[in-house]
Amino acid sequence: MAVVAFVFLSNLAQAQGVNPLETDPRAAQAGGAIFRAQCATCHGADAKGIDSIDAPDLTLIWTREATTDASVFETIKEGVVGSIMPPHQNPDPEIWMTVSYLRSIAVSGTNETVLGNVDQGRNMFLENCSRCHRVDGAGGSLGPDLSSITGRRSVASLVNSLREPSSNIGRRFKPVSLTTAANERVLGTLKSEDAFSVQLMDSEQVLRAFNKAELIRFTRELDSLMPVFSEAALTEADVNDILSYLQSRRGRRPSI
Amino acid sequence: MIKRDLFEMKNKFFWKLIFSTFCLGLSTNLLGQSSSAPSLGVASNGGPVYEDILRGFDDPSRWLTFSGDYSGKRHSPLEQITPENVDQLRPVWTFQTGTTTRGRGFETSPLMDDGILYVTGSNNFAWAIDARTGRSFWQYRRDLPNDLTYGASAPVNRGFGMLGNQLFMVTLDAHLVSFDRRTGNVLWEIPLADYKIGYSATLAPLVLDDKVIVGISGGEYATRGFIDAYDPATGEQIWRFNTIPGLGEPGSETWPPDPEVLSRGGGGTWMNGSYDPDLNIIYWGVGNPNPDYFGDTRLGDNLYSNSLVALDADTGELKWHYQFTPHDINDWDSNHMPVLADIEWNSQERKVVMVGNRNGFFYVLDRVSGELLLGKPFTATTWAREIGDDGRPIVLNDGSKGCLPDPWGSTNFMPPSFYPALDLFILTARETCATFVPEEPRYVTGQSSFGGVVFIDGEQSSGALRALDVHTGELRWEFTYPSPTFGGVMTTAAGLVFAGDHEGNFMAFDVESGENLWHYQTGSRIWGAAATTYLLDGKQHVLIPSGTTLTAFALPD
Repeated sequence: MAVVAFVFLSNLAQAQGVNPLETDPRAAQAGGAIFRAQCATCHGADAKGIDSIDAPDLTLIWTREATTDASVFETIKEGVVGSIMPPHQNPDPEIWMTVSYLRSIAVSGTNETVLGNVDQGRNMFLENCSRCHRVDGAGGSLGPDLSSITGRRSVASLVNSLREPSSNIGRRFKPVSLTTAANERVLGTLKSEDAFSVQLMDSEQVLRAFNKAELIRFTRELDSLMPVFSEAALTEADVNDILSYLQSRRGRRPSI
Repeated sequence: MIKRDLFEMKNKFFWKLIFSTFCLGLSTNLLGQSSSAPSLGVASNGGPVYEDILRGFDDPSRWLTFSGDYSGKRHSPLEQITPENVDQLRPVWTFQTGTTTRGRGFETSPLMDDGILYVTGSNNFAWAIDARTGRSFWQYRRDLPNDLTYGASAPVNRGFGMLGNQLFMVTLDAHLVSFDRRTGNVLWEIPLADYKIGYSATLAPLVLDDKVIVGISGGEYATRGFIDAYDPATGEQIWRFNTIPGLGEPGSETWPPDPEVLSRGGGGTWMNGSYDPDLNIIYWGVGNPNPDYFGDTRLGDNLYSNSLVALDADTGELKWHYQFTPHDINDWDSNHMPVLADIEWNSQERKVVMVGNRNGFFYVLDRVSGELLLGKPFTATTWAREIGDDGRPIVLNDGSKGCLPDPWGSTNFMPPSFYPALDLFILTARETCATFVPEEPRYVTGQSSFGGVVFIDGEQSSGALRALDVHTGELRWEFTYPSPTFGGVMTTAAGLVFAGDHEGNFMAFDVESGENLWHYQTGSRIWGAAATTYLLDGKQHVLIPSGTTLTAFALPD
């Protein structure tokens, strides 16, 4: 078993903050076996988490600035107090292997630098996107904050979101429409729902809640509230400019 | 480790000091007030005896065992709260436990006697709470080891058992503990199994005349399940029933003839059982075989995994069994509350036991003989749609094609309820989709051995409260929830159904129509728990645990 080969590294593993197996290509593979055996039940086979038990998406943990190999190691070893994430008794090298595995499946984002014009991209963004999306603390909130989006999504998936926004809609941005008893029609993104009520942000970006019993109609829409940006609306060069701009803002803290 | 200790205030002497100071203050205060006031929950009697538990709901000021009586119906005769006035129901007090199990639930069923609630919580906390004020008399927290196995990933508890002045609780490090109910002091404790291997315990002990019956958790590890009977006075073991047979024992022919495979065959017994005092039989559900998803190294039906077992209460001897899911590879533990009722079946009075199973089927069995009377799906389960003449499911899909119930099941251990006047079985149903990918596990002591992974399709899931006609299994009504739910069900003779959902609503429904009559947002999912109800000073109260709170409801004066 690969595990045995790593045991000699247990002393190295105590060197704080550094994954002693970082450069070993076998570590992630061995960690994958450990993940499937011990982690997948709660975090899902694809590590994307299970909402109903509050198990987080582990492919996104590295997009947070505070996440390091050492912090992930500690979370696995110590567990999360007050939750069902238990401490793990595995030998340290096995935990480092799991860290290596989680590194290997991290959503990589746009590692390559997009060649575009940042200044033009900013203008394009302000003109086309900022009514609904925030960057650096400025802009709208109907869609996701895009300040660090290039760290989480590849160029291809970001382009796809512009060209076909309805193909993949984020969990907190599902479109709904409803008609109230007073015959007001409301379009918005669903934030929360139970058997009796819905909580949404309407298209004017106002947070509103409704009792289902008081609605004439409540519909889950298939089309995203985001408009389709075809080649005619934004050329490939325009898109590259916007992505360059977003990439230039990556890692900055939003100004308050 | 330091963080954990500080967070949970590990030093129990500290707690003892705080709480004894508090109790002293309270009793001084009371004595100073008036001696004619109601006793405000000061235990004056010697506590309930077996005959009291046997009487069940005959005295509705009590709730002395997990379901209120031995039958598991969770059906109270109380009629003060009605379909007409239930919309007036309002909270009387909320008790904050201060201990959480994020990802799971506050799964307990409080016991009630003489104005005092006996409540267990997550992480093996426990309390005695005054039912009038919601204030506690004492608190207990077990000093748990830092190397828990299954107990760390499900640090829950479902309640006390009670007899005389003794309370009984099982623990995450797989012990059975007896307490003095007046002080919370430990009288004795005994290990049920070695927690370091993977064992844990979470259920509410079933207390009979001279026995405390418990089961064990840990079927996700290389363990072997059992049901045990202990002497309430001493903690001495009276009998043990192993849910996985030894080599050569009856049932072992459904396994490979390999003592190692049998010794780690799983078959946890982590949910409560019910009891028929006339037949002197206990009914108990058995969990999944281990490894959960990988069946190739345990070919055969794998008895008594995923079965209901009927045991002689005096000896633990197996009277009969019925296996719901032979050779389970989907983790569909059959750990549900078996519901006992005497009903007219084809114009004949029959003693039956009913089970709403994690595999998506509703079953009715003759509880004397074990004969299967009915097996019908209550969800859109795709693994099987019917039971063959031989009593075995006709399997259509092993899990590799998706859209079965997921590993959490079509329902789970959350208690259902039986409404006798209408012969309705009311349960929480989960509509879910998953694809199972088995993989041979490696066995490491103290580590889980699921044997593969599961892809759960969260987009295609929902929940519902469903009322089934027990004679046909047909759906009489349903109330749908936005997501799959783990809340349990209680009914009252006034024609009410109380249920909880994953979004945190505690709700009341009309039992005939399924119409929602009342709801209260508790602020956290209701998971695993079902309501309890009792008379206090002549007034009906309803209790629900949710998140970190226990809330009591009553009608306004």
